[in-house]
Amino acid sequence: MNTALRGTTGSGTFTRLLEMLRPDLMRFAWWLARDRSVAEDVVQETLIRAWKSRDELKDPAAARPWLFTIARREHARLFERKRLPTVDVEEVEALGDPALATDGDASLLDLRRAIMKLPDEYREPLVLQVLGGLTTAEIAAELKLTQAAVLTRLFRARNRLRTLYGLEPAEDVE
Amino acid sequence: MSGANLHGNARLHIGADPRALPADVAAHVDGCADCRRFRDEMLMLDGKVHAALELPLSEFRRRAPPARRYALAASVVLAVLVAGGFWLFRPATALAGEVVAHVEGEADSWNSHQPLPPADIAGILRTAGAQFDSPYPIVYGYPCPFRGHRVAHLVVQTPNGTMTVMLIRHEHVMRRTEFSQGGMHGVLLPAGAGSVALLTRDGEVPDALAADIVSRVRW
Repeated sequence: MNTALRGTTGSGTFTRLLEMLRPDLMRFAWWLARDRSVAEDVVQETLIRAWKSRDELKDPAAARPWLFTIARREHARLFERKRLPTVDVEEVEALGDPALATDGDASLLDLRRAIMKLPDEYREPLVLQVLGGLTTAEIAAELKLTQAAVLTRLFRARNRLRTLYGLEPAEDVE
Repeated sequence: MSGANLHGNARLHIGADPRALPADVAAHVDGCADCRRFRDEMLMLDGKVHAALELPLSEFRRRAPPARRYALAASVVLAVLVAGGFWLFRPATALAGEVVAHVEGEADSWNSHQPLPPADIAGILRTAGAQFDSPYPIVYGYPCPFRGHRVAHLVVQTPNGTMTVMLIRHEHVMRRTEFSQGGMHGVLLPAGAGSVALLTRDGEVPDALAADIVSRVRW
């Protein structure tokens, strides 16, 4: 366990915890929303909600998945409340969102574009797993799916990305 | 589980989470060349996926994409034209400018170091129609006239340095707005029906600290 996460969730510790996790929270929110402004709103709402309910976090080591699930719900709430338009992935690309900057690494840019274009049902569990560190059981609980369904979605998400690296798509699973 | 089922199950787990295979799957992979190759491919791909998801946050705040900036400029022009100068449609940036001007007009507020008595703070907040459970010592406070109303103009000593907190009950901003001017960095944040302005001369306002402060404000 990261030593910075040990200890109590007192005010000072909690502040440091949030500051430490904020970058990945911002990344997660961007991958959900694929829009920087919306992502910033999601992070702000998440941090406020986390502060208000910080007593619920009994184990600081669980802060990352705890925050990510709050962010996911805030994103859904924001969409519901503001009726945000559906993101046009082609437009995000055309605008040259700085989030996609890769210092000239073309293959990394291609992969980011491919992940961005994954259907929500595949992209969301992938990001929860890779950035959020959630287990398949935790993702299943959060998305209200069976664990088998989460495994299938994660398999299909990665399978769609294989061709970018010259790999044949694997036979689909049920 | 039959051999074919075990093989299919192994490929499902490898594709879903190549870094954390269950023990029975790992045992199968050890004895199956096809699955080992598939696992190695997926581990390679997973490393790439990790790198791809690590977005360069340093790029986030540099600037808005050009088209978005034009869209923002167009929307501001449109708002001005449509509103015809209606007071209510002033953008948050104008509010930020007025906050900075107000704080610059009370520059001595930054030089206070003695915590205010609780009774004084209560009076300031009452006049401004705000409640604020400050986690930090309040070393300056005044219920200042601002845009036709009284706002709580406070200075608090945070672990990140001295910070001005303005509790603006009568102005609502739609979204977080950062600004910098005259060596000050600030952020305007929505807070219920009103807004909170935070300004510091000691770098940017940390997001977690801002969230903490906003969560402690009531009207």
